[in-house]
Amino acid sequence: MRRRFLSPLERRKLALGLLFISPWIVGFLAFTLYPILYTLRISFTRYSGFGEPVWIGLANYRALWSDTVFWQSLGNTLYYTALAVPIGIVVALAMAIAMNQPLKEIPFYRAALYLPSVLPLFAVSFIFIALLDPNRGIVNQLMVSLGLPNINWFGDPRYAKLGLVLLAQLGAGNTALVFLAGLKAIPKTLYEAAVLDGAGPLRRFWSVTLPLMTPVILYSLILGLSLGLQVFAQAYIITNGGPANATNFYVFYLYNQAFRYSQMGVASAMAWVLFVITLVLALLIFRTSKRWVNYETVA
Amino acid sequence: MKLLKSLVLLSLSLFAAGQAQEVREVTFWTAHGEPDLSALRQIVDNFNAEHDDIQVTLSQIPPGAETDVTRLMTAVRGGTGPDVYMLDRFIVAQRAADGLLQDLSPYMDGEDVLANYLEFAREEAMLAGVPYALPFDTDARALYYNIDLLEEAGVDTSELDPENGPLTLARIQEIASMVDQKNAQGNFERMGFIPWHEQGWHYTYGFAFGGDFYDEVACQVTPTDDNIVRAFEWIYDYAAQEGPQQVQTFRQAFTRPDLPPQQNPFIAGQLAMIITGDWMIGNLERYAPDMNYGITYIPVPEEGDASVTWAGGWSMVMPQGAREPEAAFEFMKYIAGEPGQRVYVQETRHMPTLTSLLDDAELFEGRHQFFRDLLPTARNRPPLPIGALYWDELTDAWERVYLNQQEPRAALEQVAARVQPQLEPFCAQLQAEN
Repeated sequence: MRRRFLSPLERRKLALGLLFISPWIVGFLAFTLYPILYTLRISFTRYSGFGEPVWIGLANYRALWSDTVFWQSLGNTLYYTALAVPIGIVVALAMAIAMNQPLKEIPFYRAALYLPSVLPLFAVSFIFIALLDPNRGIVNQLMVSLGLPNINWFGDPRYAKLGLVLLAQLGAGNTALVFLAGLKAIPKTLYEAAVLDGAGPLRRFWSVTLPLMTPVILYSLILGLSLGLQVFAQAYIITNGGPANATNFYVFYLYNQAFRYSQMGVASAMAWVLFVITLVLALLIFRTSKRWVNYETVA
Repeated sequence: MKLLKSLVLLSLSLFAAGQAQEVREVTFWTAHGEPDLSALRQIVDNFNAEHDDIQVTLSQIPPGAETDVTRLMTAVRGGTGPDVYMLDRFIVAQRAADGLLQDLSPYMDGEDVLANYLEFAREEAMLAGVPYALPFDTDARALYYNIDLLEEAGVDTSELDPENGPLTLARIQEIASMVDQKNAQGNFERMGFIPWHEQGWHYTYGFAFGGDFYDEVACQVTPTDDNIVRAFEWIYDYAAQEGPQQVQTFRQAFTRPDLPPQQNPFIAGQLAMIITGDWMIGNLERYAPDMNYGITYIPVPEEGDASVTWAGGWSMVMPQGAREPEAAFEFMKYIAGEPGQRVYVQETRHMPTLTSLLDDAELFEGRHQFFRDLLPTARNRPPLPIGALYWDELTDAWERVYLNQQEPRAALEQVAARVQPQLEPFCAQLQAEN
């Protein structure tokens, strides 16, 4: 808002503008802001979802602090995120570069690489159950024929999270599209200059492509972090939090607290703790980004 | 037949409309799949044909884990819940304590409807003396064995005949090892027995070893009862001998929650012995009619011990916010009463909770009679307001033990530490009841 009063015309324009974005404003207030504030209030109460919430102060937060499964679920989630997000970025970058090749049939390849990202997670999960089946799965058959051990991806507590990290890579197509846009934005002249200076393809990637992609990578990192910490559906569909709690992720545990044990207060407290953790991690990434993100635009 | 039925229904409803009668719509939700779903459908159709003024619509909701009622909770909160819901009976107390269910006494008109049911089912249907459910079916667990598969492996199956009483767990383990077969890659292709598969739960073995899961007087959950620890230790050692991960690999294909019944390893002939419930008779009739199999007692820890089984089952509840409570209760009395239970028992091979039906010889043909005879001595899970949490915590501990991830006693101590504090707030109420 500027400091001087608005002219009637401007005021009308502002009202019109607000009117046009009002569906979003109403949606945001009713379905995002209100629930967020509501959970904050509920997190200080004992509430089954029915009847009246009972005010119990910080008891829910204290209970979480001494809850072993809470810490285990947090550990599981951080482990998953620490693997799935960086690997996802590498995979997406490779895919973007593949999608950027000057071939006649590139639209077909692009579609093929992007397709798994638009399939419903539910369907992809079931496909993955079949692919990674230790008795009949193609992936496992292939591993055995290469002399590798036969891993029971989703049935072995040591590998269940890795199985889900693999599954997450099927969604790399979304990030790859963003990266592809980033690649297209890199001026050709830079590559031409690099070739003249005698840089090979690797050197060009390392000194031109990667530095100019860093802003896009930062964006994907922050987004991936917040999505990774909220991993839920795969664990719910494939492993139901098992085996032996290996995939009992933070949001999965939160869901159980809310809907299986009717502890809405505990679940709300968990949601706020996760919000704070996500915020802190995102800020840390931003803090370090000054060192590695390259915002120089080429004039 | 279907067409005829719908024509009859249509003409009935037209007739009803002609009478200008108010038809009350009752919605009924279940998470059950086939073959039980067909039986429920038949009961609903029968009810609708007999009642002009009430029409029940049955909806199947997706199955979740044993204790998951998310769909119900969210729908009730949103004001779009059903009038009648089929709920696992041992968690009625927990859902009633949550405030999710309606007290049924106002609809009973002073009549003691629950008096007609088996005692344990009646107890499971109440919380603090208030009725929240009408018991539906019950079941019991036993050991099924595939005679042909065992004989093929060189086992003399006459030993397993129930006439000889229960076998010991050690003997079952010996027999099972004769059936085990591995392929070139060292994976099990066929197994004799997996103690923790299907209905081989923590409660199954805890009871078999003579354990008690709850101390009423002290208001304490007792997962660390010495006998329960012994049961878990037996499982731990069994898994260690077979190779926990190799068994897990074999089971991997059979542990999805939505697995169609014909893919059960016992039905598919890949598992020679299995502890499961009476409903397996119905499944085998449908999906493996030629299987030559027997049913015997759950094995015992020591020679001479009495075999112990446990009974579970489902119930009909009325969630908060039911739009047609009177009509809903009318239907609940029908389905949980004689007309409903009779059809359900015949079609699905579950057992009735109505005492009047238990002595009905024509309901229990042949093998089914075996389960009927187990009922009087069957144990049941303590109906606690934290029943769902207790089940889930025991299940986690059970998993850690059969995967050899944690020592039995430590796993069970963790259960006690996590469940007891949640039980405390209800203790005053529970002890007043006794």
